[in-house]
Amino acid sequence: MIERTNWVSALKTLPFNELLDTTTELSSDWTLRPKSIPQSGLGMLKIKESAFNEQFYLGEFCLSSAWLEVTTPDGQVAEGAAQVMDDRVELAEALALCDAILSAQLPGWEKISSMIERGLIIRESTNNERKQMLTRTQVDFSLLDDANDKGNAHVSN
Amino acid sequence: MLAIDPVWQADTQQAHFRLLLDAMAYPGRCLILKTLPIDGGQVALSVLSTLLDAEVSLADPHKLLKDDDWKMLQTNSVAVDEADYILCTGSQFTRFTPKLGRLKSPEQSATLILVVDKLGVGDLKLNLSGPGIQYNKLLSVTGLAAQWLARREECNIAFPLGIDLILIDDTQIAALPRTTKVEIL
Repeated sequence: MIERTNWVSALKTLPFNELLDTTTELSSDWTLRPKSIPQSGLGMLKIKESAFNEQFYLGEFCLSSAWLEVTTPDGQVAEGAAQVMDDRVELAEALALCDAILSAQLPGWEKISSMIERGLIIRESTNNERKQMLTRTQVDFSLLDDANDKGNAHVSN
Repeated sequence: MLAIDPVWQADTQQAHFRLLLDAMAYPGRCLILKTLPIDGGQVALSVLSTLLDAEVSLADPHKLLKDDDWKMLQTNSVAVDEADYILCTGSQFTRFTPKLGRLKSPEQSATLILVVDKLGVGDLKLNLSGPGIQYNKLLSVTGLAAQWLARREECNIAFPLGIDLILIDDTQIAALPRTTKVEIL
């Protein structure tokens, strides 16, 4: 079973409409109740600089969150929550619902599980792509040392 | 997707905020709330949802709120002597020392929100005067213990330090800011 901490990031890689359609279909006769107000806003990215170890705000990022309770017609109750770096509250709600469905294995949980597996593959592929891009930006400083050695040898001669 | 009770929605809270400003500006005036919580929820939530967030604190010594209400309010639960807002039942007097503010910052005081049975009718008749009231204003209340008003008087003796009161019944609000003189008839 995939760890719960990976569910939201895996599902986020999938198209929003697919998430929305799936969760709407699965929850059509369920009662959904918010445990806290779903909201969207900005998170402040704090970082410590290395000279004086003081914290400063590097910038902002979009953050949406939702926490809800699901009750099915046969009396199953589950809670789900999600925080996602996105400005769409609807996305956070859909992800929170997926979290509830899979954690309590409510009807339709297999669909969510297979979506997560697909999402993990996409996420892995994206991460590999980013690693390759990052590797291409690295500077090989040892070449500079070689260049300096050659230059000094020329001068001394 | 999620059906949110209208009291938690921005447009309702803006309307209620306007109502609270009017209540404070015209003490004793009974103003009708635009929206009440659905499913028989605590009426005070109409006001609390407007005033509270994670930057302020609330004390609920009479346990009027449910656990789920606290989660929706997203506010801090603290002791009565530290709270920015205190929610109590009007008919049940409880003695405590609320925050009264400081001379440098008198606004750092508590607002007491009392849930009463009915505003505008009742045996308790208050004669109000002061800023926002042209001459005098009569306010009748059912379900408000007179000791609250005596305690308010004690708290406000060192004006501008003191507390402000908001009264709520099942559909209306009225306010008694610390500048209002209250005489029990």
